[in-house]
Amino acid sequence: MYVLCDVNAMYASCEKVFEPAIRTRPVVVLTNNDGCICAACGIAKRLGVGQKFVPYFQMKAQLERAGVVVRSSNYELYADLSQRMMATCERFAPHSHVYSIDECFLFYGRGAYTPPEGWQAHARRIRRTVWKEVRLPIGVGVGPTPTLAKVANHAAKRLAGFAGVAVLDDRAVQRQVLAQMAASDVWGIGRRLAARLRELGIETGLQLADAPPGLIRKHFSVLVEGTVAELNGQVRLNWDEVRAPKKEIYSTRSFGQRVQDRQQLLQALASHADMAGRKLRKQASLTHAMVIFASSSPHDDQPYYRQSVFHRFSVPTADTRLLMQACTAALARIFQPGVRFYRCGVGLLDLRDTHSQQSDLFSPSQDNTALMQCMDQINSRFGHGAVQLARQGGEQRFAMRREFLSPQYSTRLSDLPRIRCEP
Amino acid sequence: MLKFIPLRAQAGITGFESPAAEHTQLGLDLDQLLIDHPSATWLGYAEGASMVGDGIHSGDLLIISRAETVQNDDIIVANLNGCFVCKRVDTTARLLLSSAPGARPYQLQDGDEFQVEGVVIRSIRLHRPLSRGL
Repeated sequence: MYVLCDVNAMYASCEKVFEPAIRTRPVVVLTNNDGCICAACGIAKRLGVGQKFVPYFQMKAQLERAGVVVRSSNYELYADLSQRMMATCERFAPHSHVYSIDECFLFYGRGAYTPPEGWQAHARRIRRTVWKEVRLPIGVGVGPTPTLAKVANHAAKRLAGFAGVAVLDDRAVQRQVLAQMAASDVWGIGRRLAARLRELGIETGLQLADAPPGLIRKHFSVLVEGTVAELNGQVRLNWDEVRAPKKEIYSTRSFGQRVQDRQQLLQALASHADMAGRKLRKQASLTHAMVIFASSSPHDDQPYYRQSVFHRFSVPTADTRLLMQACTAALARIFQPGVRFYRCGVGLLDLRDTHSQQSDLFSPSQDNTALMQCMDQINSRFGHGAVQLARQGGEQRFAMRREFLSPQYSTRLSDLPRIRCEP
Repeated sequence: MLKFIPLRAQAGITGFESPAAEHTQLGLDLDQLLIDHPSATWLGYAEGASMVGDGIHSGDLLIISRAETVQNDDIIVANLNGCFVCKRVDTTARLLLSSAPGARPYQLQDGDEFQVEGVVIRSIRLHRPLSRGL
């Protein structure tokens, strides 16, 4: 079985963790440079002020009237709480996969394993534990394939009667939920695909699941065919194909054998940076921030170790050389002698389109676009790794507009929360 | 991470070197020593004098674990009506107790917003200020 854990309105929920005064208030979070709304908590959504990607200046007066708390994106805080949430979820299953900053899959192995307490109680316990230990509200979806776990997660959050947890372990429940979902809400079915499916009379998730394989094969790619198979309970995706949404790119993998060597860890991080950089350029994006992390296994005998480092780029970049520099700089804080590293990776956060990027007069981009293009072309022609970069050192500074930035409560000494000791 | 040598302080008046000296190791760090559940643990500064009876003074660093189960008489951090407060808790009488002389207990009411935000598992007195700033 697969379990998908995903944080409700991640950024807005993170803002509430260390600020009890705003827990019961509507909160929205703005994108970089305070441009648009990118997240809204449930209270703000119910007030009707949570539409994503609406420019802030258009909403400003309305937000003020409604008494909404407005925040700039505090990626340092979100990255830290994300790591905590992932570490908490990982404890529950033998395998896990970080899918994005606010989602992770847990995998319990093929076959008919059921936790002693049953799936429903197990899922509820994951949800309760993350709330108790990290103070983030999550939805938990359980299904026999990654795509059905996603469907379950959708049900857990959106459909009445589930209250944050949905278990789709039986065909009748799966069909009942799929019937209540639009095909476009199925993982991997974008707006364009949904429009083409509609022409074939396929509107709901259930109609998609019941579509004749021949028809799908004829009109769509093997990916869509795989999605249909997954909706019918046949596993088609493996972790490498579980692709991240466009907002963030994660590259992470567990090692075949535990790693205790500094150089080896750096090499692994560098190859993740390379992989992430390639994906970044392929979708024509630039990244503003990066999180670099490594951990031991929670199932080993030695004490669990996990460390992550947040890196912000002064100018958004898609240059693997700069991503690798960040890894090299982070290594000193991540590597610990004696720790048997089990997993490492990098995440690129806060992405934007290459084309919509304005250049900055005072901090010119250091990207060598031509070199990267050349590298990508050689590698796509002669295979990955045909040309590689040697690693380099160095660090950068950042400056951006974050007028409503909350403190870095959990990552900066001067920003630690104050706790009142008054009679 | 801070390293220290796990050796007892010695007056050093004998002429012999400690037989244990060659077996000491670097590598025990304060995180591992003080924190059992890193992903559920957070830090905060105490502000005010209401917990001096428990040895918590204003400006002390509190290590707070959400992984612990609250037991009667634990020192906790709670969200009380939108504020983080540090109190000793009487779970049966639903009282929040301060430990400064003369401080009166706070009776939790039905209308109060109250959530436990973790158990204070350690408190650290900063006899000199942290060099990395406060």
